[in-house]
Amino acid sequence: MDLWQAIVLDPILDMIDAPEFLAEVFIGGLMSGVMYSLVALGFVLIFKASGVFNFAQGVLALFAALTLVGLMTGTVPILLTQVPGMEMPPWLAIIITIVVMIGMAFLVERIILRPLVNQDPIIMFMSTIGLAFVLEGAGDILWGSEVKTLDIGIPNSTFMWADIQFQEFDIWAAVISAVMVVFLALFFQRTRVGRALRAVADDHQAALSVGIPLKAIWVVVWSVAGIVALVAGVMWGSKSGVQFSLSLIALKALPVLILGGFTSVPGAIVGGLIIGVGEKVAEVYWGPLVNGAIENWFAYMVALVFLLFMPQGLFGEKIIERV
Amino acid sequence: MTNPAMAGEKVAGETLLAVENITLSFGAVQALIDVSFKIEKGEIRAIIGPNGAGKTSMLNCVNGFYHPQQGRIIYKGTVRPQMKPHVAAAQGISRTFQNVALFRGMTTLDNIMTGRNLKMNRWKTSLLPAALYIGWTRKEEAAHRDYVEKIIDFLQIEAIRKTPVGRLPYGLQKRVELGRALAAEPELLLLDEPMAGMNIEEKQDMCRFVLDVNDEFGTTIALIEHDMGVVMDISDRVVVLDHGIKIADGMPDEVKNNQDVIDAYLGVSHE
Repeated sequence: MDLWQAIVLDPILDMIDAPEFLAEVFIGGLMSGVMYSLVALGFVLIFKASGVFNFAQGVLALFAALTLVGLMTGTVPILLTQVPGMEMPPWLAIIITIVVMIGMAFLVERIILRPLVNQDPIIMFMSTIGLAFVLEGAGDILWGSEVKTLDIGIPNSTFMWADIQFQEFDIWAAVISAVMVVFLALFFQRTRVGRALRAVADDHQAALSVGIPLKAIWVVVWSVAGIVALVAGVMWGSKSGVQFSLSLIALKALPVLILGGFTSVPGAIVGGLIIGVGEKVAEVYWGPLVNGAIENWFAYMVALVFLLFMPQGLFGEKIIERV
Repeated sequence: MTNPAMAGEKVAGETLLAVENITLSFGAVQALIDVSFKIEKGEIRAIIGPNGAGKTSMLNCVNGFYHPQQGRIIYKGTVRPQMKPHVAAAQGISRTFQNVALFRGMTTLDNIMTGRNLKMNRWKTSLLPAALYIGWTRKEEAAHRDYVEKIIDFLQIEAIRKTPVGRLPYGLQKRVELGRALAAEPELLLLDEPMAGMNIEEKQDMCRFVLDVNDEFGTTIALIEHDMGVVMDISDRVVVLDHGIKIADGMPDEVKNNQDVIDAYLGVSHE
């Protein structure tokens, strides 16, 4: 009975006792969830449109953030000296970074995807692991490995509303993510290019036969994934500094994907939010029982449970195999 | 005074596609050897032959999946350079596949909309306007949706409009695939065994659709089919392949009584 009390009753009583505190934990969880969602979104885009699990998505976010910081501080690549007067305003640096990410999409298509066309997904997956290492190395050589601060002018003050503390930055992050998700969902579901992307993912030959050129589609997909990576990189970078551990957030995106389903844009969002809130709440209310650190493994436990009982995730396409 | 052409009568004589001396091999395997034939505008041209005769290889050459080592393809009066399938599609060649090749994750509607890909205004639906989903893109989508609804009515698949095609029975999947090919308003429609694996009713439906497409839209059709009853009933002319070689070419009745064809199908001992 003591165990029952400790595991179930006490935490719930704690929650009821201090609802404002619960709300703050909840909102904190939602905000880190938004960050996970942003990274997971990049994975989903490429997986949906090319059936490739892109291991390099986290590094892509890192690389985008590094490039952005480098341009904003007027740093010369490789030499790492800062030229006074070459500092760019954020909007210009963002546009140039987007161009760089699109250029990268062209390179990826030409160097990696085209020679490997029609290979097994596992081979494509391996090639993205290779890409991750190359990009990480390139980021190090071009922009240096020390932690950099990134400030593109998103206001970050704290305010109180209904006795709950909010960070203005978090609100902006949520709004930007929401807008991006709505556009991506419309784009995928309702437009010619979106349909072409899904078509290519389903069947290369059939896509060609209705006049969809594969090469162009791959460039589009990787460009969009690069831009999503930029948004994720900016958000994470502004919050915790642009550093190489950023590429490790890709690992947290995995349980998010398993939860939400690999092929679902809404799934990536909902999955990210559930994981974000779940691990914060678990940490605060159940952490003391096991001496803390629940946050580190909670997401993976959830993923494991889903793999056992619902392998397609909450929103993924059910795989029907006809025999 | 010339007689006005009777309804449904074919205006013969104009060649839409001619393949000349096509030879295709994969390593040591000869898929097609020196094959030539013509497809006239507006006809239903059947390509038949036993398994492994090279029928599908022939279609793959026409629509650009394969590039024959020798011979040339003349389409609409000009010799066609080696081209990619999506370029052939842009020139009005649509096709279906032997093993249904639909976009399984998408609904019937989206599959057929994908067939409109080339008909939609490229700029109005290009990446930037599409991502912003502005008025142009919406209008363009709506206009093409109208056409797709006509195809859905024509093929009588209204009820499965929003169903993901992966869940449909085989016969309906074949019908959706035909719809996707029709959405491109093709001049030449290549059908690879459209009736394979169907029951008698489904076959009758499909025959009706093929004939109606040919009649109402004047679409030229090249058709691979194993069911001899179907071939004899609906095709205008038949070309017969066996082991990559053309062994007969003519009206259904002529072909049916051709000794080489009978031998190829029933098998004779090659001395």
